[in-house]
Amino acid sequence: MTGADAMVKCLEAQGIDVVFGYPGVAIAPFYNSLYDSKIQSILVRQEQNGGHAASGYARVTRKPAVCIATSGPGATNLITGIATAYADSIPMVAITGQVSTRLLGKDVFQEADITGACEPFVKYSYLVKNVEDIPRVFKEAFYIASTGRQGPVLIDVPIDIQKQEFEYEEPGEVSIRGYKPKVKGHIVQIKKVVEAIQKAKKPLICAGGGVVLGHAEPVIQEFCEKYSIPVVTTMMGVGSMPKRHPLFFGMLGTNGKPYANRAVAESDLLIIVGARVNDRSIGALSKLEQDRLIIHIDIDTAEIGKNIGPTIPLVGDARLIFESLMEYDIHVSFEDWVERLRNIKVNCVDYRTFHEGFINPCLFVEHLTERMDEDAIYVADVGQNQLWSADNYVMKKGRFLTTGGFGTMGYAIPAAIGAKMAAPHRQVVAVCGDGSFQMSMNELATMLQNHIKVKIIIMKNMYLGLVREYQYNNYDKNYIAVELGDIPNLKKIAEAYDMEYFHLRNMSKMDETIEAFLACDNSALFVCHVYKFDKVKE
Amino acid sequence: MKGIFSVLVENQAGVLSKTAGLFARRGYNIDSLAVGETDNHEISNMTIVSTGDARVIDQIEKQLNKKVDVIKVRRLKELQSVCRELLMMKVSYNNTTRKDIMEVCMIMNAKVSHVSTKSMIIELNASPDIIESFIKIIQPFGIIEMARTGVIALQKDE
Repeated sequence: MTGADAMVKCLEAQGIDVVFGYPGVAIAPFYNSLYDSKIQSILVRQEQNGGHAASGYARVTRKPAVCIATSGPGATNLITGIATAYADSIPMVAITGQVSTRLLGKDVFQEADITGACEPFVKYSYLVKNVEDIPRVFKEAFYIASTGRQGPVLIDVPIDIQKQEFEYEEPGEVSIRGYKPKVKGHIVQIKKVVEAIQKAKKPLICAGGGVVLGHAEPVIQEFCEKYSIPVVTTMMGVGSMPKRHPLFFGMLGTNGKPYANRAVAESDLLIIVGARVNDRSIGALSKLEQDRLIIHIDIDTAEIGKNIGPTIPLVGDARLIFESLMEYDIHVSFEDWVERLRNIKVNCVDYRTFHEGFINPCLFVEHLTERMDEDAIYVADVGQNQLWSADNYVMKKGRFLTTGGFGTMGYAIPAAIGAKMAAPHRQVVAVCGDGSFQMSMNELATMLQNHIKVKIIIMKNMYLGLVREYQYNNYDKNYIAVELGDIPNLKKIAEAYDMEYFHLRNMSKMDETIEAFLACDNSALFVCHVYKFDKVKE
Repeated sequence: MKGIFSVLVENQAGVLSKTAGLFARRGYNIDSLAVGETDNHEISNMTIVSTGDARVIDQIEKQLNKKVDVIKVRRLKELQSVCRELLMMKVSYNNTTRKDIMEVCMIMNAKVSHVSTKSMIIELNASPDIIESFIKIIQPFGIIEMARTGVIALQKDE
């Protein structure tokens, strides 16, 4: 068989049933071999979106997903997709075509050193120079992408290697001497955690993206309920706890709930699980280390101590660690502490503002997500819409997907396409701003062509709202390069792509419009008019 | 503080640039870097000397460990290891300075490897602090050019 045949065979062996990509000459042999495979090929309208679609697919299936691009510009277009997956720790295998091995380094047509360019954004990368390596490389790539702290792996395959005939040999078990991810927590450290909880008066769990990625939500919820320990989340951790859970106290950070930040500030033991402790969330709260014990649980050793010096570091998989913690019986009661937090929460001022003829975005997200199916998937883009979404999303049994790590505008639509492909029977709603919508509206064609019925909401305020808000706060209201205008005509766009169209300006019609939008069978575009000067923080 | 890392890596194309790139990207200093094959030709040993505060040195070790091509990272303590560096320098001389230069070489165990009518090439294999002082002493005589290998080190057994 040829190298290209082997690539397809390897993907089949990994149980891959769909790839998101964009062809070109350097990847043509692979696509030709794909012709006879059962693997479905989805043609996206730009390579970056292929990366995001794979990200959405991977997050829902919890398995690595595949995106494809050709050499040169195809590959460089894909970089943002790869970098987004890297920052968000999403398992992904990106395959790129490359110019012929004998032309490598000669700056020929459509040549780019993509393994070099992607080095800071991949967990690992391969440039395949021997066709015999393909079976091993593919098996290793999927292994690396999906184990330890998950992330993207890039495989760059020159066209002559794809065309070359060879004798396919089944790869052996994966054995990489430099890669032995640690998943089980160290027993000594686990005992220290137990002791710390025993001594604590006001413990708090902060759940990050690692909780969702490691599917540790159920066991952490069980653990919290066992001891009445309150929980807050980071943006990537939204969805770790149901919104209405009595122990849940919202998202923390600069864009989070004030009572979540109060909970952190008043806690005497902070258990950070699967979070980078970045500047937008916990890092914003200074002097945290001085006044309380900090336990940092993460699968990536390098995250521990990077931004915050923990008292007790614990390396391992969140789910396995909390399963071990469940085996202990700690005699504690934190009812008073939880009661105090409930009081703070109840007394927090509602900062929502209302403008005649516009929809309050916070209330909208709440009403929308309450009415969505139990297991619906909500994909938030980037900008004000993301912050309104993360802060007000009502988690039931569904999923909340967003790029909290990289913050890539235009993520929602392609990621929603991937999510819908992964779960065709679940409701998938993408929420964008009018800025981010226009960054990936070309993917409406992908949806239409492949009958992918994603529902899209545009929070339209005719501005790049979050940048405008930043200019308002920091640049003396000098609004520059943020005005989008009342274009394009979104109704005509919906019509052009055969989507149902909804729009909403009147709060009194909000619930019925949301219900009609969710009930319609087709894919739909819902324009929600938001007051142009509405801010995330008043 | 100073960190000396002895790093075993896969002996493959691109590994050096990936490792060096990690330092550049994250803003860590490289004071010196020496790399060569080990007794196993599939494995190379990199000795990297860096400076930074305790948290930075700690992060370097963790970030190196995260690299798939990195097999093992050891942090060496200067006193508990043998650290060596090779220095070569071309020094100009004349009839009045020749004797003094030779004397310094003799005291510090440096070797003259080549002599021409105007200059000589001196080599010195020593620990980094001796190399530093040798350079200081020779400097006034006129160093024409100079090259250093960077430190390589092995941990002493008890």
